[in-house]
Amino acid sequence: NMPTKRKRRGNSAAEKKAKQARLMLEEGLDAIDSTAQQEIVVPAPVSMGKWKNKERVLIFSSRGVNFRTRHLMNDLRTMMPHSKADTKMDRKDKLFVINEVCEIKNCNKCLYFEAKKKQDLYMWMSNSPHGPSVKFLVQNIHTLAELKMTGNCLKGSRPLLSFDPKFDKEPHLALLKELFTQTFATPHYHPKSQPFVDHVFTFSIADNRIWFRNYQIIEEDGSLVEIGPRFVLNIIKIFQGSFGGPTLFENPHFQSPNMHRRELRQASTAKLREKQMLKEIQKMKRFENKEVATKDVTADVFATPGQEKPVHIQEVEPSQEPHKRKPKPFKRRRMQMRS
Amino acid sequence: MTLETSIEDMEDLEEDMEDLEEDEQLGTDSEEEDSELSDSELQDAFAKGLLKPGMNVLTTKSKTCVNNVEGIRQCLAELSKSLPWVERLDLTNLPAEDILARAEGKLPAADGTVNADDDFQREMFFYRQAQASVLEALPRLKKLNIFTKRPGDYFAEMAKSDQQMTKIRKKLISKQAILEKSEKAKKLREQRKFGKKVQVEVIQKRQKEKKDMMNAVKKYQKGMTDKLDFLDGDQKGPAAAGQKTKGDAAKRGPNAKRKSKDDRFGFGGKKSGKKWNTKESHNDVSTFRSKTAHGKGGKGGKKGGKGAQNKRPGKSVRKKMKSHK
Repeated sequence: NMPTKRKRRGNSAAEKKAKQARLMLEEGLDAIDSTAQQEIVVPAPVSMGKWKNKERVLIFSSRGVNFRTRHLMNDLRTMMPHSKADTKMDRKDKLFVINEVCEIKNCNKCLYFEAKKKQDLYMWMSNSPHGPSVKFLVQNIHTLAELKMTGNCLKGSRPLLSFDPKFDKEPHLALLKELFTQTFATPHYHPKSQPFVDHVFTFSIADNRIWFRNYQIIEEDGSLVEIGPRFVLNIIKIFQGSFGGPTLFENPHFQSPNMHRRELRQASTAKLREKQMLKEIQKMKRFENKEVATKDVTADVFATPGQEKPVHIQEVEPSQEPHKRKPKPFKRRRMQMRS
Repeated sequence: MTLETSIEDMEDLEEDMEDLEEDEQLGTDSEEEDSELSDSELQDAFAKGLLKPGMNVLTTKSKTCVNNVEGIRQCLAELSKSLPWVERLDLTNLPAEDILARAEGKLPAADGTVNADDDFQREMFFYRQAQASVLEALPRLKKLNIFTKRPGDYFAEMAKSDQQMTKIRKKLISKQAILEKSEKAKKLREQRKFGKKVQVEVIQKRQKEKKDMMNAVKKYQKGMTDKLDFLDGDQKGPAAAGQKTKGDAAKRGPNAKRKSKDDRFGFGGKKSGKKWNTKESHNDVSTFRSKTAHGKGGKGGKKGGKGAQNKRPGKSVRKKMKSHK
């Protein structure tokens, strides 16, 4: 007897849903009436529909990622029930090994996080066997656990995807839009998903970067609260093959983080370096062979001889007047009074 | 000599060879750095007219980036799967209208660009984009029988655990509490200041009353007044009169005498040279007050009214009064 393959259900979630539905039916008309009045109906459990769109995403990282990246990966796995995890990959291996890993896990999309210098986080997104792949630089990461993200959603509920119209304007952005849609959208009737749609992912373009946000839909009138995570993607290159192949697109606005840091450092030290250069120039000038100016060529330019005066010899002695004393009327009295 | 010849040659293109040679001799430092542009090449370029006279600055050629549009389109065609909308649930839209911004009169850029550095505006842009998507998507979802509203008793696993949510709630509550506390503290401080002011005023009022009372008593004792009004207490009369004069005094400002003293001796007042017997000062009649000059018109009338109440009796009369006692 062949052991039957146990179908992996959505853990307790699907069971709970099924139970709930059964309970509702068992409780009879009263419950249904009351809920019908409020217009809230419990939908049928997910296993009732047939899961056709077989989309699986492999999310994993290289070694040397920091805690924030790890949390981000976990958050993405929470948000996307159609994702699979894998162990850390050694960075010494070449990138096309990832394709083999994807095949083993039977995934057709992949999100691979790579950290360099323990500072910069790069993300690869690819369509596994033949399709295109993109390399991004990830910045401004905020995870689910941050206390400012106050929203919450069902684990595994399907998201709405909202794109900026700028995605339709450029061809490479259109390609990215398609890739995002296929990667992040949870397939309908996926066994781990929930039948509600209660959160929305937004992809917007600002400052030549892609901004990702995740909001919870509270009311039907469109009031939203942020759930998280949130990050910013900076496109580096788009390749035709998965983790390799000819380059289809290169981002002209991209500046490598090393160059960016270098520029900042140079800007801060530019003034100092200028001063140093000036000092050196002065030193050099001091020890230069200087011309000794013995004769000034321009000395006679303004030479205007003075008027000749006749020589005058004084013969008579000038009369000496008696030395006049300064009038000090009260000084004598003061001196007398003092003594 | 070199200076003069080089200036002339700048205008004359034909004598470029000599010009360049002289320039090279004078400024060899910069030339050595760019080995790509050798002297002969520069001469040739100048001869052809590619280089113009004047300062020529080196600029790096802008890096050409790959943008294989055809390849991208092909890739996109291969990648795209024709899925119904219900599988993808994707929408593309501009942000919803911001009523507040329109009311204030500052609309964002029409083409949808947002300044990434202005945090608040940027987040509002994303928020409104999400809102517009939600408003568009909800009716479509309803048609497809997909629910967005969760019933109150539907318990399922949430993305954030209950522990996390309680932490968040606690933080929000604590923030609010801190705000309220600071508000209360501010109000209390204000009240205390105000209370102190009021207290000081009351004390001053009491002292003034006491002083007035003592003065009134003294006057009566000395025989200046024979009315015992002050014993009746602070009824309407002195209060009203006091208020009136108090208000008046406040309006009038400091005394005229005080003012003139300030002008003469205070800071910023002219000390000397105020009185000059010049033609202008002689002809200046602005300080002439006819009433004062002609005796305030009270020569006849005032004597009867004033003299009876406030006039202090002379020495002999006082002596007589004293001895009588």
